[in-house]
Amino acid sequence: MTQKSLVEEMQQVQLAIELIELGARLQVLETETDLSRARLIRLFKEVRGMSPPKGMLPFSTDWFITWLPNVHASLFYNIYRNLLEEQKCERMQAFVTAYRLYGEQVGIDQAEPVLALTRAWTLVRFFESDLLQLSACTHCSGHFVTHAHTPDHDYVCGICMPPSRAGKTRKRREREAAEIEQEAALVKCAG
Amino acid sequence: MKNANHLDEIQELNLAYLLLAQRLLNDDRAAAMFRLKIDGETADLLLSLGAAQLTRLARTNQLLCHFGFEGAEQLRQVVDNPRDNGLSQFHASLLMAGRGAISMSRGV
Repeated sequence: MTQKSLVEEMQQVQLAIELIELGARLQVLETETDLSRARLIRLFKEVRGMSPPKGMLPFSTDWFITWLPNVHASLFYNIYRNLLEEQKCERMQAFVTAYRLYGEQVGIDQAEPVLALTRAWTLVRFFESDLLQLSACTHCSGHFVTHAHTPDHDYVCGICMPPSRAGKTRKRREREAAEIEQEAALVKCAG
Repeated sequence: MKNANHLDEIQELNLAYLLLAQRLLNDDRAAAMFRLKIDGETADLLLSLGAAQLTRLARTNQLLCHFGFEGAEQLRQVVDNPRDNGLSQFHASLLMAGRGAISMSRGV
């Protein structure tokens, strides 16, 4: 009686392929499909052309609260929740679609996709086990990821009120310095 | 004279919007419903409309598509954030994605 229907199995393989293409680690596939580990490893090798990376998944909720990851995680989770609750999408369909939509926005901004697929999946799992919550920003009324049970009646998000050094990475400083130099060179040429 | 121009533009935009909505829905229904902020019933209805019906719908003096932000306060926070770190597009996307979220605020 445990014989799986062929159609169902096909759908599972399809989902696994989609997740692998988007960058899923093996643990995600093992949890979200009924396919055997051996088959998943084979599938992974065929799709990505390499063995799946080993090691544990990141397990801390703190990462999602740090400044830039928080912005990315919040955008993704807003989309996911909209698909799940407003559009009544099935959980994994909502997840895959939300991740693609998040990727689109990252592409428009030419930003780094800070939130990898496996991170996004961990985020959803953390919400499902009530380790994280959404808090409404009192300035922009957007919803942002915070630790569960954080008092949030006067919460202000990291975009409305970024920490003082936020976004001032070495890469950005170097780029800005290069731009200033270029401008100076141009002025010299003109003069 | 200028007024007539506006009316033409509105009707063109309405028709373009309806046609785009249909294409989006045919391509990826779930994503399209998210982009358009419409429910399943509206999605089905929109898809069932023929060219004549779409043209008739488009012929009004008002826009069929609506503004994505909830009021001036939100819009101001996006376009006029004194501490902008180059995240304003992200911010806009996030705020629109969270629309309709008031009804589903967490039950903690």
